[in-house]
Amino acid sequence: MPEPRATPTPAGEHAAPVGAALSGVDPTDPGAVWRALGAAGIIEALYPDGVQPDPRRLSALLTELDAGCPLGVTLSVCVQVATVLPLLAGATGPAERARRGMLRGETVVALAVTDAAGSGSDLLDATTRVKLGDDGAVLDGGKDWITNATSCDAALVLARHREARHFTSFCWVLAPADAPGVTVGSAGRAFAGSGVGHLRFAGVALPPDAVLGRPGRALAGFARQVGVERVAGALWARAMCHRMLAGLRDWLRRRPAGAGTLWDRPAVRERYARCLVATHQLDALCAPLLDAPAAVPSAVTGMLLKVSAAETVDRVAAEAVRLRGADAFRDGGEAQLRTEAAMFGIAGGATGAMLAGIADHADELAGAVT
Amino acid sequence: MNTEFTELLRPFLKFAGPEEITEDARLRDLGLDSMREIELLFAIEETFGVAVPDDKLVDSTFATAGGLWGVVEELRTPVGGGSR
Repeated sequence: MPEPRATPTPAGEHAAPVGAALSGVDPTDPGAVWRALGAAGIIEALYPDGVQPDPRRLSALLTELDAGCPLGVTLSVCVQVATVLPLLAGATGPAERARRGMLRGETVVALAVTDAAGSGSDLLDATTRVKLGDDGAVLDGGKDWITNATSCDAALVLARHREARHFTSFCWVLAPADAPGVTVGSAGRAFAGSGVGHLRFAGVALPPDAVLGRPGRALAGFARQVGVERVAGALWARAMCHRMLAGLRDWLRRRPAGAGTLWDRPAVRERYARCLVATHQLDALCAPLLDAPAAVPSAVTGMLLKVSAAETVDRVAAEAVRLRGADAFRDGGEAQLRTEAAMFGIAGGATGAMLAGIADHADELAGAVT
Repeated sequence: MNTEFTELLRPFLKFAGPEEITEDARLRDLGLDSMREIELLFAIEETFGVAVPDDKLVDSTFATAGGLWGVVEELRTPVGGGSR
């Protein structure tokens, strides 16, 4: 668990309703947190346009969750509000019923993209297949390291419906977790509260309306939506960095050293200040997005945010561990947080893949100084 | 192919350099990978105000510059019209 908040979070007008909704709720119980957010109307209010989350509301939600919940619980909420709900917008049939349930906090839907058979950074090699027919669809395959896998009511599965190794060969299917042929395995104790696990699909028969949207558009739609997930990740990362830095500052000011405290030592202050610089660079990258009507960035902006968030969290967490020493290994301390926060550099696009994509945009990024 | 299309295409082709992009140019050979194809699809749809239909959402649509332009032109041209 994070230590008690050292300073108020700068989340603005949207933070108070989130705090009120979570008052008295067990922050380690992802189901209770999700239900409380839904019952208070927090989830539905995230989408003023009915599709994409409002950046400031999203930032307030993630900041409040980060302040009070384990990383896994925040992750459980984050992937649903940033990715699953927008992908379900406009759907009909069971997907629309699932979306309504999610908005009320009564339904949990996992996003099943990373294939058991291939790298999460190269979705074209995915082997999870859906056979489409007039009477319905049959799903076979597996998805690994899926958030909410062990707690979901259904999974939104990216599945191949054509053999060509091309982005147009994929579609979305909504598979109920209790459908015959669906099994769930635990992924261990990491990311407590996230429900992370491995999903397997063996001849899962689904009705025709379990197929969402236009076949062939799924990966393109996901590529656009993952940008929103990267915005959410960056907003969450900056909240985490501010929280760690506030806690570290207060701890350094209390920690005796010689005639004063650690905070009095220039070398410590310099190391701390470098973390402040990095965090404010991330803030600056996020700032224009907070004023946008919806959290949908360009592809390259999403990749820049992803890399910056991952590197900033790692830098701040690493310095917090070094400066706190043994104290960082207390339950829920920075050492554990740093281990789990490494997911910022992996989930939703590994840093190496992001850098390769950013290099593709060298002309526009290197050429423009305004 | 019109100039607007080839200029839109060029930033997606990392190996194209300043050379002319011809109709038979193979986009993969010029550096277009599948994830960049997605960005190209969105750019084409936004720039030309078209929506690529399901039957054209196949890998062969993105094989050559001329083939892709043919799809775009077909989508933006009223029946009986044409401008190449």
